[in-house]
Amino acid sequence: MALARADRLTFTYPDAGTPALRDVSLEIEPGEVVAVLGPSGSGKSTLLRAFAGLVPHFHGGRFEGRVEIAGLDTRSARPAELAGTVASVFQDPEEQIVLSRVIPEVAFGLENIGTPPADILRRAHEALASVGSEHLADRAVAELSGGELQRVCLASAVALRPKLLLLDEPTSQLDPGGADAFLEYVVGLGIAVLISDHRPRRVLEHADRVLFLDAGRVLLDAAVPAAEDWLGHNRPVWLGASGNGRVPTQGEPLCRLEGVQFAYRGGLPVVDGVDLELRRGEIVALGGANGTGKTTIAKLAAGLLAPDAGTAELRGRAAMLLQDPSRYCIRERADEEVAVGVRGDRRRALAALAELGLSGMASRHPRDLSTGERERLALASVLVTDPDVLVLDEPTRGVDPQRKAALAELLHDGSERRATLVVTHDEEFVRIVADRSITLGRESLLV
Amino acid sequence: MKPGAAVALLAALAAAALLAQHLAAVAVVALVLFAVCLRAPAERRRLYLFGTLVSAGALFLLTPFIETIGSHPIWTGPIVPVLGQLDITHEELTSAGLNALRLAAVGLAFAAYALLLDHDALLQAVRFARPAALATRLMPTLERDAAGFVEALRGRGVEVNGVRGRAVLLSPLLASALERGLNLAEAMEARGYGRTGRTSIPRPCWRARDSVVVALAAAIVTAGVLWL
Repeated sequence: MALARADRLTFTYPDAGTPALRDVSLEIEPGEVVAVLGPSGSGKSTLLRAFAGLVPHFHGGRFEGRVEIAGLDTRSARPAELAGTVASVFQDPEEQIVLSRVIPEVAFGLENIGTPPADILRRAHEALASVGSEHLADRAVAELSGGELQRVCLASAVALRPKLLLLDEPTSQLDPGGADAFLEYVVGLGIAVLISDHRPRRVLEHADRVLFLDAGRVLLDAAVPAAEDWLGHNRPVWLGASGNGRVPTQGEPLCRLEGVQFAYRGGLPVVDGVDLELRRGEIVALGGANGTGKTTIAKLAAGLLAPDAGTAELRGRAAMLLQDPSRYCIRERADEEVAVGVRGDRRRALAALAELGLSGMASRHPRDLSTGERERLALASVLVTDPDVLVLDEPTRGVDPQRKAALAELLHDGSERRATLVVTHDEEFVRIVADRSITLGRESLLV
Repeated sequence: MKPGAAVALLAALAAAALLAQHLAAVAVVALVLFAVCLRAPAERRRLYLFGTLVSAGALFLLTPFIETIGSHPIWTGPIVPVLGQLDITHEELTSAGLNALRLAAVGLAFAAYALLLDHDALLQAVRFARPAALATRLMPTLERDAAGFVEALRGRGVEVNGVRGRAVLLSPLLASALERGLNLAEAMEARGYGRTGRTSIPRPCWRARDSVVVALAAAIVTAGVLWL
């Protein structure tokens, strides 16, 4: 018997003109790992929310058809009643954290579902250990990096021992090693998993079955080998690219870090003895495990932080895209937001929006945009300044493979004018965009 | 020390400052609380200390012009429409100092609470108070959001200076808080919040030291009423 079932599910968000899901029917068997792929806005997150009962209970909207989880009809069972049977991890870990310390945070769901008090701490510690984060147990959540927060959210979900785990881009902030370990762990749980991810190659290695959504419809529902054939013929970019074949030009050095050391608030150094040189014309990818100081190096390179020791030289103007696209929602309209960096020059702002495929969004409020659209808006807000040194911190979060390819092309097109540093865990993006890559935490680094 | 005992002590110090009538006694309480706040990291305590001291300073400066008490003038100024004659008396200055120090003490007690206590452990004791836990996190979250907005602007070559520059961030901060609230509510519901039969982590035992602190808190309030 199926663990979860959607039967002719059509759902439209309040005030939306078109349905986010259209006539979706599928069954999920116990223990099955299902990859949910599709472009941004195709309905992946909505499908996951429907299986958590959040659609329609939390969001409202028009709900037709039926969703059942372990025999419970989500129209009558509220999400809180499904918790424990279902557990979810959403895209942005910072917006799921309820408490201020790690162990109480992981224990929060266990307390809600009525776990015997004597078992709560043990299960919370076990869950943290299972995602390789036992060392975070006594930390305050405010001190954690994005990747570490993601692991805490995963631990909070796993601690509930659900029958169905819903993961919405769970590895977007994990380093490749961490992402592999996590997926292996999830598969090893033996529970049903529905996982939506914009880095399909890794997920396909662990999945049993693939759903491909487009415009709210299920275009493909097949086992992995058949799905790979289908993707190869119909959506080849979802299977990744082998390389970019670019011959970079290398001009004069624009950014140079030498023996740089930096510590936050008088704590231990986050980076120590780091050297880095960026030349005009090249695109450099910076990777490495979570917590190795990639973002700090990026901020030092962009001049947002000053080193405690060593030297940081910057020639020309630098601009940096931060990880969180919601930091680029200061103005009321998308074009005004982009124009902030160019003293209100609307013509340049509109051109930048068009370059990022957001022409029709100029008058929209930045907060009304989807996650992927916000990411592109943030990128437009930075690219419009036409800097000599461009630093991008995780620019592909929430960006589908098609858009990633377009982004790589965009960065290549303007690359001769500037030096570009891309901080990312996304190995597929590194392959298509970078001229050289640096991995922190492996021997020395850099050139 | 249990967070409950620490809160009792902070509340007692704030209450004593409000109840005490002697300038020196209130000043001592404010100084003690100021010293406690200095245990927080410099980056985090800056905003709280700035807000508290500016508010107290403003109260000290305005009170003599608003109050009309005392018969020992120090300065007599012009007659201003609506306000009447401006003057500052010795009694008004004393009253302004007392009220400013009281405000500073209450603000510093809150700062110490926000900066130094483990709110999860504290509110675990008050089992129904999960929303209070979230409210407690509001200020640090807003601080982080504001810093994020400023950093994103700097990353685009825009420096944020002065009160007017920061005032531009108020609206996005509010929108950000509302959006975060909605997302958090969704995540909480998905994690079973609001379901019946909730349990909780066993709480650490109340120790003799915690009882001593609570007794000290009671003594401070009593002293505030009777002698300070």
